[in-house]
Amino acid sequence: MDYISILPIQALHGLVYGMLLFLLASGLTLIFGMMGVLNFAHGALYMLGAYLSFTVLLWTDQFWLSLIIVPVLVGFIGVFIERVFLRKAHAHGHVAELLVTFGIAYILEDVVMILWGSEPLKVEIPAILAGSLSMFGVTYPTYRLFILAVSLLVFVLLFLTLIKTRAGIIVRAAVDNKEMVSALGFNVPLVFLVVFGVGAGLAGLAGVIGGPYLMTHPGMGAVILIDLFVVIVIGGLGSIKGALLAAILIGTIQSFGILFIPQFALFFQYLLLAVVLIFKPEGLLGGSK
Amino acid sequence: MKHSHIYKWLLLIFFLALLFFLPMLISEFSLSLVITMLIMSLFAIGFNILFGQAGLLSFGHAAYFGTGAYTSILVYQHFGLSLLPGILAGGICSVILGVLLGVFIVRLGGMPFALLSLAFNMVIFSVAEKWRALTGGEDGIAMQRPDLFIPGFGSIDMFPTINFYYFVLIIVVLCIAYCWWFTKTPLGRLTLCIRENGERAGFIGFNTYATKLLVYLISAFFCGVAGALASSFQEFVSTSMIHLHQSGDILITTFVGGIGIFWGPIAGVCFLTYLNDTLSSFTEHWVLIQGAIFIALVMYVPDGISGLTMRMKARLFDRFK
Repeated sequence: MDYISILPIQALHGLVYGMLLFLLASGLTLIFGMMGVLNFAHGALYMLGAYLSFTVLLWTDQFWLSLIIVPVLVGFIGVFIERVFLRKAHAHGHVAELLVTFGIAYILEDVVMILWGSEPLKVEIPAILAGSLSMFGVTYPTYRLFILAVSLLVFVLLFLTLIKTRAGIIVRAAVDNKEMVSALGFNVPLVFLVVFGVGAGLAGLAGVIGGPYLMTHPGMGAVILIDLFVVIVIGGLGSIKGALLAAILIGTIQSFGILFIPQFALFFQYLLLAVVLIFKPEGLLGGSK
Repeated sequence: MKHSHIYKWLLLIFFLALLFFLPMLISEFSLSLVITMLIMSLFAIGFNILFGQAGLLSFGHAAYFGTGAYTSILVYQHFGLSLLPGILAGGICSVILGVLLGVFIVRLGGMPFALLSLAFNMVIFSVAEKWRALTGGEDGIAMQRPDLFIPGFGSIDMFPTINFYYFVLIIVVLCIAYCWWFTKTPLGRLTLCIRENGERAGFIGFNTYATKLLVYLISAFFCGVAGALASSFQEFVSTSMIHLHQSGDILITTFVGGIGIFWGPIAGVCFLTYLNDTLSSFTEHWVLIQGAIFIALVMYVPDGISGLTMRMKARLFDRFK
């Protein structure tokens, strides 16, 4: 095999998957940082995004419409979950909250199987994104570049919001010390609600763009959830920069691992996770608060 | 005070007698269900020694359950051992794995502990999945359970369900009795103390690390024994027994039963096993109903079935006062 010519392609593969992971991990890590909830339903929301997008495409055949409407829908489902279930369970501690999200993931997976069946679905890529582009002598599928573009855009928007806007500052403050933010007169439960909704919306967006790229099937949420846990732990729970770093790291490890040692591609990321947890339990960028 | 103790012992004797005479009262199919309940009870109790007693939430206990399950099937297959050594080998191998992982895992607590146990579970799972020569991968290994050989007495045929039921009953009752006794020992008390305030326990002069490791190993042993019993019962083992789902299931079961009371996990096992069996027979979407019941329980009855029972009992007795 000609490794030299394949390396940039594999690096790009890793980056694309890594950025998709970041879309999901950013919401997950913010939710954990603020509420202390490890949201097991995050993968299910991602899956729901992919399936809703399938239906929107089936009815209207408008990919761009689905790109806007589905994240909003999933975001509202997230708001509903937070308001109805999590707020109630909050009084009983973190394990109860975690178990509620566990149960919701369970239910959503079954609902998807009832509504769409358990067979994998083929989601069509819009014609304009279906081909491939050639740059610097490297040919690459357009759709993967599109995933990269969308996730980079979201990444920039998210960072600007978190750093520059008033809302972003409140969110960051609440991650660090929510009692103090509450004492200063901000409505912390509302902040939770919004962050959970936005996190769910991002998961929905990742589902819309990830559905045609990875496979759309009822197990997709559970599969990606494990990768996400690895990402947010390696990056440091609550750290969004850490999530970015770790997502790209995991994407790269997977894409090169599959190239060189396909048998143990997944093994390496768990090993990395174990090593990080043993030597730096707060994660790569977790302790910098 | 004295009276309530007598009631407890009477209740215990009643349940043990019921379990002893059960094969005469119910069909063979129901007996299989009870065997599953017994085995899962041991798993849940073993898990709760760590979760309820020591306050350490593990997402990775399927690693020990699965190790026990694989070990017993493999020693039957390769060494031709009889039933009891096979079950013991399952527990011992789980303890060995527990030492290897425990020295790292026990240094942590809270969410990092949970996540590292999850990571190790995934590592063990991927090894089991890829090492097809030993584990048979997803296809698993089928192996008939051997006879029970007792030196000086001869061997007992374990093929009839009723014989195997009594074997499981004895093992499970002995193991659970040990776990109950353990919670009363000074060491068991110390784990409670470490759960409540590990720092203070350390300052008083206790070695919290060694204590947590020991509890971790005890938990690993009984989960391994439960796994070995489960694979011997099903006469089959595959990667699904070592999968994260198994870790999640035992967490759900234990929580539904109630983690604060010793027999709580057993109530959870009986309730959910019975529910699964009933629901799956009359609706295809029992997962949905089970999920809804589970969420409702977590939201409204956070201390589980056992906690609810205790509260109802307390209210009932208040009325008679």
